[in-house]
Amino acid sequence: MKKQLAFMVNSKKCIGCYSCAMACKNQYHQEPGVAWRNLQPLEAKDYPHRDRAFFSLSCNHCEKPVCVQVCPVGAHVKREKDGIVVHSSDKCIYCRQCIESCSYHAPKDNEVLQRAEKCSMCFERIDAGLMPACVQGCPAKALTLVELSAPEAQKGVQYPKGFGKFTQLNPSTRFVEAKAPQLVLAAKDN
Amino acid sequence: MDGKKKQRLEDVCSLSRREILKGLAAAGALASIPAGLFKAEAWERTRYQSGLKTFRNACPRNCYDTCSIVTYVKDGAIEFVEGAKESTFTDGALCVKGFSYPRRVYSPDRIKYPMIQDKRGSGNWRRISWDEALDIISDKILEMKQKDGSLLGMALDKYSGNFGITHYGVEGMFSSLGYTTRFVGTPCWPAGIDAQNFDMGNMWCNDPEDMVKAKYIIVWGGNPAWNSVHTMKFIYEAQARGAKLVVIDPILTQTAAKADTYIRVKTGQDGALALGMAKHIVEKELYDKEFVTKYAKGFKEFKAYLDKHVTVKWAAAETGVSEKIIRQIADEYAKADPATIWIGYGMQRHTNGGASVRSIDALAALTGNIGKEGGGARYGHLSTWGFNYNAMVQKQPEGSVGYTGKDKIKSEFDQTAGETQSYSDRTININKIAESILTTDEPPIRLLWVACKNPFAQDFDRNKMKKAFAKLEMVVTVDQFFNETVQNSDIVLPCTTLFEENTVNVSYWHYWMSLNEKAIENQYEAKSDLEIAALLSAKMNAKVAGSCTFPQITDTKVWMEKEFNDGIYKYFGIKSWEELRNGPKKAILTSTASWSDKKFGTPSGKYEFMSDLAKEYGHKALPEYKERRKPYGKFRILTPHTQFGLHSQFNNIDYMEDFNKGPLVYMNPTAAKSKGIKDGDTVKVSNKTGAVTLKVNLTENIAPDVLLMYEAWFKGKDFNVQELVDDTSSDMGTFKTGAPGVAIHDQFGDIVKA
Repeated sequence: MKKQLAFMVNSKKCIGCYSCAMACKNQYHQEPGVAWRNLQPLEAKDYPHRDRAFFSLSCNHCEKPVCVQVCPVGAHVKREKDGIVVHSSDKCIYCRQCIESCSYHAPKDNEVLQRAEKCSMCFERIDAGLMPACVQGCPAKALTLVELSAPEAQKGVQYPKGFGKFTQLNPSTRFVEAKAPQLVLAAKDN
Repeated sequence: MDGKKKQRLEDVCSLSRREILKGLAAAGALASIPAGLFKAEAWERTRYQSGLKTFRNACPRNCYDTCSIVTYVKDGAIEFVEGAKESTFTDGALCVKGFSYPRRVYSPDRIKYPMIQDKRGSGNWRRISWDEALDIISDKILEMKQKDGSLLGMALDKYSGNFGITHYGVEGMFSSLGYTTRFVGTPCWPAGIDAQNFDMGNMWCNDPEDMVKAKYIIVWGGNPAWNSVHTMKFIYEAQARGAKLVVIDPILTQTAAKADTYIRVKTGQDGALALGMAKHIVEKELYDKEFVTKYAKGFKEFKAYLDKHVTVKWAAAETGVSEKIIRQIADEYAKADPATIWIGYGMQRHTNGGASVRSIDALAALTGNIGKEGGGARYGHLSTWGFNYNAMVQKQPEGSVGYTGKDKIKSEFDQTAGETQSYSDRTININKIAESILTTDEPPIRLLWVACKNPFAQDFDRNKMKKAFAKLEMVVTVDQFFNETVQNSDIVLPCTTLFEENTVNVSYWHYWMSLNEKAIENQYEAKSDLEIAALLSAKMNAKVAGSCTFPQITDTKVWMEKEFNDGIYKYFGIKSWEELRNGPKKAILTSTASWSDKKFGTPSGKYEFMSDLAKEYGHKALPEYKERRKPYGKFRILTPHTQFGLHSQFNNIDYMEDFNKGPLVYMNPTAAKSKGIKDGDTVKVSNKTGAVTLKVNLTENIAPDVLLMYEAWFKGKDFNVQELVDDTSSDMGTFKTGAPGVAIHDQFGDIVKA
């Protein structure tokens, strides 16, 4: 198996604090309205309490990334050495094909600068021996980086409830599902 | 990919957009480009850059976590920030607010110059110079002095907008002008402070990092998953080691969602719950006999009170929590060793908040968890705050006339010894600002100076506040954004962000100290509070020699250096503040537990179940049950903190709007159904104080008779929870902070479809 770096999203630990999403904006200065990483609150069918469990999502750095396939200028490249799908927005011609093709909506539409943008897993940080900005920035240690073949990655699931199942892409992100507390509820306040 | 095709496209697009813009800039052609494009060019990044210059910073917001920050700077501009890894508390991470700082510093909405508004609230702002602004202000001060014979007509409204130690220079500036009127006390946490002082003789919590040692954790009326995100990793570690996490709260908070057991208690009935638990512990003889006999005073009397007045059945009826559950958690808590309780600030913002904290403290004492690593009744501490307060301590000019009335009161952060003087400042309860401005006389409050505070967003009864401001002759606000307080001011002075000044910061929760270095030049014409004070002093003295004693030092580094002393150095194990340039330092603690020697700061030197001091201040000597405020409306209205803001700070930043679009009121679906309200409807929430109109979000995270909205100031929106919060006092606070707190969460009202 080829080496594949992947995000491990532990929703059991995630506190929905948005630090990861803002850490990304802090690092790359995304235009207002553009967020390469964001939180997806779990719907009622997947978690019983509204806005209390989340998936922190950006690019899933798929095994067979559709963005790489559709990009006419080779702006999306899957790195051989670690499977990171790197996007070079300076090559982007704003044809919007990646934006429209990705089932996970990882490429974002920057209407101001007229280009597609997405998470490249902070590959320059990784090359410099650092963690991605979002991973380092997670105060709850809920977002981590794993090598897919490592034992810790096996603790995660690939398609948890509430996450799209697109097997042809084979997304690398792994998840630990959120738990709900035992409830003891006063029936009313007064 | 077809190599030929790729080649052709690259030829066509040989110049990237960025390069084109750079070319245009060089050719001076940018003036003709729409402004949006120019800003985007200056701001855009797609690459991480290494090798940048770094500076040490510290988040000065009113927050448990007080993060140690590393700031990366290129060509004099902040590229990005991150948490300092040297601090095991911050541990490399910031919160959503901290990570928004670069955007905040370079926000197009920042106030850039001193400005004057032709008529308050008109929006007709004109740019003026610093010299003009200070000229107008100093004229007013001198006129007041002439008219009143003192400066008591000049009032300072300052609180927690920036906790950098040198920011107490604002108080210093006021003292340097004469005896003035000060709003004192705190809207935040005073009832709990008094409670812990009555019980233990101080507010002094364990090192939060020792929570990993706890076998049982109760988070009571607090929401660290939003308000102390860095503490969560210690709670998780304790859970991983086998600890049980119980969250007690009227709201199923994000912290509650992480608990093993979430208990929804009736709001304001925490005291009854704690006493019910205490009753079970005493009944079953699960209490720590050594602690209650050797280290505590009044156990016998407390036991007698429980015997006579408390039953678990009664507690169940009062709290809505079943007898079985009360007994179960009491049992588990008493048997776990060590077990800890984190007392949140939310649960004491009630007319019986202090009494409730005392009851919870009593649980920790009963079980011998006080003075124990991994134990404790954690609330906060100020033991790392022993600075010189050099900027704050300024002498009044000779011949100053002041207030001759009764007792002076002071801030909980003020650690200076009080001097005996015949004159003093006139002090007024910070939680009654509107009322006080309207009623204070001889002299009336004529000039209000607002710094590190946003009274229109944070103070109670907004409609009364409007009337109060209308009475003021001049309002000067020092701020960074055009918020509602600025809208109601005559003059606004732009202040620097934390990245534009030097100071030092500590926390009221953890035990780290962080240096805050000036990482970039002052933006636009912004000045720090200290620079403003020095300039005002120069202006005053130019007009009337000797009218202001504030040193004319504008370098914030000089001020920062003067705050350190040997005590601080010793406590943190450093020889000089310069060592903090290598990273934050943690205090050298003999134990991670507070009160580890069981020598308490009370008059008896023991833990006081029975406190004569409490009685002196008009409370019960014992931690007895105190009834909650009677409802004055159909729904309870809760207005706690959001994760996206620190009070009124941050929600207005466009980056934050990406994740937090606007205000919502949360309502239980059952209640909504009975009112014909659907998710997403626009509704009006109102009570005797005022009304707000906003969208509704239906959630079972609250009880059917509760409405929830988060306090915040959003840019361009008139949403303000203070429309619905009256200024009713909490029970305690007068002993240690000079004034009682506010019963923020004892508010009621109704909701209709708008």
